[in-house]
Amino acid sequence: MDPTQPIVELVDVTRVYRQGSVDVHALRGITLQLLPGEFTALCGPSGSGKTTALNLVGALDRATSGTVRLEGRDLGTLTRRQLSILRRDRIGFVFQAYNLLPVLTAYENAEIVMAVQGVEPARRRARVMELLERVGLKGLEDRRPTELSGGQQQRVAIARAIAAGPAVVLADEPTANVDSETAENLLGLMEELNVKHGVTFLFSTHDPRVMARAKRLVKLVDGRVASDERR
Amino acid sequence: MRTFQLAWRNIWRNRRRTLVTVGAMTIALVCTTLYGAMVQGYLATLERDALDAEMGVAQVFAPGYQERPSIYAVIPDADALVARLDAAGMTACARLLGGGLVAAGESSAGAQFRGIDVQRDAAVLVVSRGVVDGAWLDEADPAGVVLGRRLAHTLGVKPGDELVLLSQATDGSIANQLATVRGVLASVGEATDRAGVFLTARAFREFFALEQGAHQVIVKRPDVVDLPALEARITAAAPGQQVLTWRRLMPTVATMIDSVRGLVAFMFFIVNVAIAIVILNAMLMAVFERIREFGILKALGVGPLEVLRLIYAESLFQVVIALGASLVLETPLLVLLSARGLDMSSLAGVSAVGITMASRWYAVVGVSTFTGPAAMMFFVVAAAVLYPAAKAAVIDPVEAMRHA
Repeated sequence: MDPTQPIVELVDVTRVYRQGSVDVHALRGITLQLLPGEFTALCGPSGSGKTTALNLVGALDRATSGTVRLEGRDLGTLTRRQLSILRRDRIGFVFQAYNLLPVLTAYENAEIVMAVQGVEPARRRARVMELLERVGLKGLEDRRPTELSGGQQQRVAIARAIAAGPAVVLADEPTANVDSETAENLLGLMEELNVKHGVTFLFSTHDPRVMARAKRLVKLVDGRVASDERR
Repeated sequence: MRTFQLAWRNIWRNRRRTLVTVGAMTIALVCTTLYGAMVQGYLATLERDALDAEMGVAQVFAPGYQERPSIYAVIPDADALVARLDAAGMTACARLLGGGLVAAGESSAGAQFRGIDVQRDAAVLVVSRGVVDGAWLDEADPAGVVLGRRLAHTLGVKPGDELVLLSQATDGSIANQLATVRGVLASVGEATDRAGVFLTARAFREFFALEQGAHQVIVKRPDVVDLPALEARITAAAPGQQVLTWRRLMPTVATMIDSVRGLVAFMFFIVNVAIAIVILNAMLMAVFERIREFGILKALGVGPLEVLRLIYAESLFQVVIALGASLVLETPLLVLLSARGLDMSSLAGVSAVGITMASRWYAVVGVSTFTGPAAMMFFVVAAAVLYPAAKAAVIDPVEAMRHA
């Protein structure tokens, strides 16, 4: 991976939603580049466009205008199937509400993306066991989400997000549903994954703790980039 | 993806709904299987009763006999034809047919005389077993005749009574002969009951002065009937003669059997439509309450086909459970119904479209008894699940994950 080539690139991107008879401008022409290994937080007040930007980068939504590229591929030109494969292979997701599958164990949730990719079971097992140990869940592999705390569930979600070796992990308000101590632990974990293993993170957040730890802070206001600060 | 594992666990998330759905499928399978077996039994009995008494699976006549029956229209080499049919793996017998009058005391009635080879006829047809009063024909008693039930009643005769047979012989003379009633048949069929007079072939030939040939060759119903193939084989063995299958000889019965089969198919359709509605409703509920999860799966890169496969796997499990449950429930009933049957004695002896109803109605069980309803269930479930499965497969992940 060329460290000077952006993993994520948004060029003059707009996103307009239609709500009834009203057009809602969620993004109004933002331009942004994310380099490999960055630990970036998108911050801003509610309605500023953080989640919309994350959804566009995550190939979950399409821009109204402008270009969104992931590893140089223009997402606007890809079919739904290609976007689906791209999400599976190159993007990791950590959601605010954890979004684990309730009928699967921690281990099974963590391995699901690799299972969808068709990775052979032995390799899956080795990788997932290593990751669960790394996120501090060794011994809890067989527990279902309802048997885990919020912090533990989010750790499973992080393990799931990085299991398949994505180009970037997108985390939408990852600390919003956990207490302060758990939030600190989760941030420490993600920071460690970023520093030691080079995982690229892009957060959307309005949590000051996340903002404080981010190496780059991009502030969105009314769908525009108000500031972009590297630390 | 762990499709089957996920599907299996998913169906037990809402036990009550799964049990209701599986229960409905089970009831439908049990009902359609039992109904199918009983109707098959009814049709088999109907066909057997219609064919085995006197019809056979097919008959051979001299050209033109069927259109205009005549004592002179004979198959000249009937014995040779019977031998050829035997050689071709079939069993057949020749009969002599003629019309006339029969009288006893002051009573008389029209009669259909049937001259038979006693031994050979019994190997092909079961009419000889239908004697309820007296005895069947005996070659050693050429003057003895057996009468149809209603004819005996009309003439007011019983075994041992004397009759006068009257007709026109082939030489143009008046044929008349004294005969003795040897036996009276149970109800066999409309024509035989009303006018049937059975006598030995030798007695028939003497009565009608007919030395050679026979009017009718009857081919026995085999266990497995492939009518077109059988017709072709008989035609090959009987060149120049008219071959008619039972379906052409008894079109009303054939139509009735076809109608009953159509009715069965319609009943299956109705039951399965009801089941389809239950399944559609259950699967729609199952999809809508997990809409967020499908959104997650889609966000993680699970493709529409995999989502479709997951929902179909859930339905497949439910059908398989229902199949197992239905087998457990219906097998003892099928064993009972095929061994002991249903008592239909209140209808026994009643004739309809020339066939007499049997006293017991048995279920007929074969591989298709189970595979038919099972295949129908798979098809119905596949059709019913398509809409909710497709809905889940094309769901927009962002929209779906907004659901609480």
